Amino acid sequence: MARFVIRRVSSMIAVLFAISVLTFLIFQAIPNGDPALRLAGRLATPQTIQDVRRQWGFDKPLYVQYFKTMGKIIDGQVISYQQQQNVEDEIAHDLPVTISLAVGSAVIWLVIGIIFGVLSAVRAGQWLDRLLTVIAMFGVSMPVFFLAALLDYYLGYKWGLFPIGGYVKLTSNPWGWLTHLILPWASIVALSVGVYSRVLRSNVLDTLGEDYVRTARAKGLSERRVLLHHVLRNSLVPIVSLWGLDLAALFGGATLLTESVFNLHGVGQYAAESIGHLDVPPILVITMLTAFFVVVFSALTDIVYAALDPRIRLTG
Amino acid sequence: MRKGSKWSSIVVFALLLSVLLAACGSSSSSSTSSGSSSGATKTVTNLMGTAPDYLDPGLGYTTQAAEPDWISYTGLVTYAHAKGAPGTKLIPGVAESLPQISADGKTYTFTLRKGLVYSNGKPVKASDFAYTIQRSMKLNWGGKSFFTGNIVGAEAFDGGKAKSISGIESDDTSGKITIHLVAPYGAFANVLAFPSAGLVPTGTAVSNLSNKPPPGVGPYMITNVVPNQSFSAVKNPYWAKEEIPGIPAGHVNINAKIVTNTQAEAEQVLTNSADVFDWADTLPSSILQQVQSQASERYAKEPTVSTFYFFLNTKNKPFSSQKVREAVAYALDRRALSRLDSGFLAPACFFLPVGMIGHPTGSCPFGDPSGAPNLTKAKKLITESGMAGTSVTVWGETREPRREYVDYFASVLNSIGLKANEKIIADATYFSTIGNLKLNPQAGFADWNQDFPNPSDFYLLLDAKSIQSTNNQNFGQVNDPHIQSELAELNKVPSTKLESVASRWQALDEYVAKKAYTAVYGYEDDPKFMSNRINFGSAIFHPVYGNDWTSWQLK
Repeated sequence: MARFVIRRVSSMIAVLFAISVLTFLIFQAIPNGDPALRLAGRLATPQTIQDVRRQWGFDKPLYVQYFKTMGKIIDGQVISYQQQQNVEDEIAHDLPVTISLAVGSAVIWLVIGIIFGVLSAVRAGQWLDRLLTVIAMFGVSMPVFFLAALLDYYLGYKWGLFPIGGYVKLTSNPWGWLTHLILPWASIVALSVGVYSRVLRSNVLDTLGEDYVRTARAKGLSERRVLLHHVLRNSLVPIVSLWGLDLAALFGGATLLTESVFNLHGVGQYAAESIGHLDVPPILVITMLTAFFVVVFSALTDIVYAALDPRIRLTG
Repeated sequence: MRKGSKWSSIVVFALLLSVLLAACGSSSSSSTSSGSSSGATKTVTNLMGTAPDYLDPGLGYTTQAAEPDWISYTGLVTYAHAKGAPGTKLIPGVAESLPQISADGKTYTFTLRKGLVYSNGKPVKASDFAYTIQRSMKLNWGGKSFFTGNIVGAEAFDGGKAKSISGIESDDTSGKITIHLVAPYGAFANVLAFPSAGLVPTGTAVSNLSNKPPPGVGPYMITNVVPNQSFSAVKNPYWAKEEIPGIPAGHVNINAKIVTNTQAEAEQVLTNSADVFDWADTLPSSILQQVQSQASERYAKEPTVSTFYFFLNTKNKPFSSQKVREAVAYALDRRALSRLDSGFLAPACFFLPVGMIGHPTGSCPFGDPSGAPNLTKAKKLITESGMAGTSVTVWGETREPRREYVDYFASVLNSIGLKANEKIIADATYFSTIGNLKLNPQAGFADWNQDFPNPSDFYLLLDAKSIQSTNNQNFGQVNDPHIQSELAELNKVPSTKLESVASRWQALDEYVAKKAYTAVYGYEDDPKFMSNRINFGSAIFHPVYGNDWTSWQLK
């Protein structure tokens, strides 16, 4: 276990370093992306632009700028170019929104995805399977932003069943928190349920044909017990892997479109606004945060793997 | 059963983690709670599509920042709280009267009102003015060139060669403030009306205080700032009803919320779950009809003082030829461009927009802007110019409908015999890209919203002195001796005497239209749209700052 942790931590440091360098360099390569021009304002004189460049250190060599920015990120002192706000304070402020959105939707889609996948597999070829296939295809083919806009328009604005966007703190109003998140959750869940249920259906159908399943049945185990303990357990291994990575991506801002449509002010929306302004510090921090979550969740996924399949060992 | 329990535990753990993490952090507030009572003063919910760049007056430069800062940080002079032309009139702010301007136009003298206090109760001093200007310069306010370029010693202070601005003198005992200019600059009083020149106490930290804006002098003060999400403008307890004549005390507290989804923003106001739609946002065409039919009594189109145009590079082929520029003016169907903006663009041809002194009242030189284009004439002019088939790169930005404007413009150029291709770049880098003189852009989208109600603010864009290597704003590189000689005289005329030279500005603008230096196509209208809780009739749409928050009152 210790070896596993050491290897994962060292690989995480390497990944974060590589990601941060690449992100930093990409924004340096954008034509006319000089932040001094934007910071100085549209009416600035060349002298003012030069002053800003010197004041912010944009006149220093690239590697100096990079290490200075990274130092500030580690100290928690990095500020955005656009509004000169502490980036980590903003992310800390926005993260609970994204966590509410990501964890809530991930749990819902996992539960529904498993139910749909298993039902589809055990009723393969029957009307229920066909119905669930249609629902899954609908979810997969519907762009998230479009579904989110439709839900917001009809269920929020037109019929007034849910609030029109916004977020309420769980601690200040739990009911408000729930009602504000139902539509955002639904728009994310629709896509993922489709993917997860189709993947699981296929896995379950494959597993049902395995020798050990036939053996379990021959031993006289009930069909429910065979399905839950022998088929589902093995079929879930790739789903767990997928779920871990998807959840990590959601934490890192993959909820961008949903957050923007529902005006949730989470990390995704912050990322979108920062990209629009070519504001490097927040983009850098959010990219690293995403990478961090991906590495951590990948490690957690491996641990869950081992729990699901004792043949797998945590060797890193 | 054992494995089933393990799986359930994972799900329960994830849910608990979600709840725990969501609970432990702070986050944004609801967008649905609308007007509510807060003690004696009622509160209205104002939605903003874009967050103010900075709420610190020393840094704020966008219209979104100016709205709350204008009523919280009063300068020596300010604008009358009125709609239309009266709203462009300068009135004394923290100064007793409008400035006394020396005969040579280089010295402005004010006397501070007596007994004024900041929103923290501390007295206002004359020396606070110099501190305020120096602070905004040190913070690199976006318009600081208005100070460095005009006030004696400001450039030296900015360059670190002086500890204070030598051109500003103040006497705390008498309240006298004297400002010396490098050269006469008629719009200087307008510069002093910027919220960034709104007084803050001496000793206010020289750092971005947007999260906790400093005390100011005004009917409101800004509090409860959640960056990029919300803030409040609450009534200043130290502001008496007639503290400064002409500046109303306000009726309600305002809770401003940032809603970047314009559709949701409009829906909330339409359903009365929020009170005010951001006038700087475009009402989505998908909801415009519903707004017009269901809320006609609380919706209006308000003209803004802005010009939308395509710049034409007068230094290079093909637009160095006047015939080609005239052809463009003939060929543009401004009605089509207006449709691309859901009808929020009033077709026009003159550079100075309606509402600005000097806006010509005569007819356009190249046909009625609200009528059909004259493509036959345009094609003939292109043939005569010998420029047919010349390649033109048209620059544009991605933002809707600006990209569509450029698509249309390129198609028009192709239809009259030029060979146009488009170059669309990100909004964030657009103006700095086309402002790079080395790039020498041929043509493209441009617009201007007034910084202040003075034609010189617009003519900065056609002034040869504005041509610079980076951040060039004279995109067409217009360098006309007649324009230069007129600007040399007109720019000296003080704002308070602008009416006396209105006809001369008008003649200059007609001359520019005849030379077709730019292809002006319209002036933008903006939506004034409110919930049915607000008294719509008494709500002022100000010509400089948009919605005047001090005029909002509940029915």
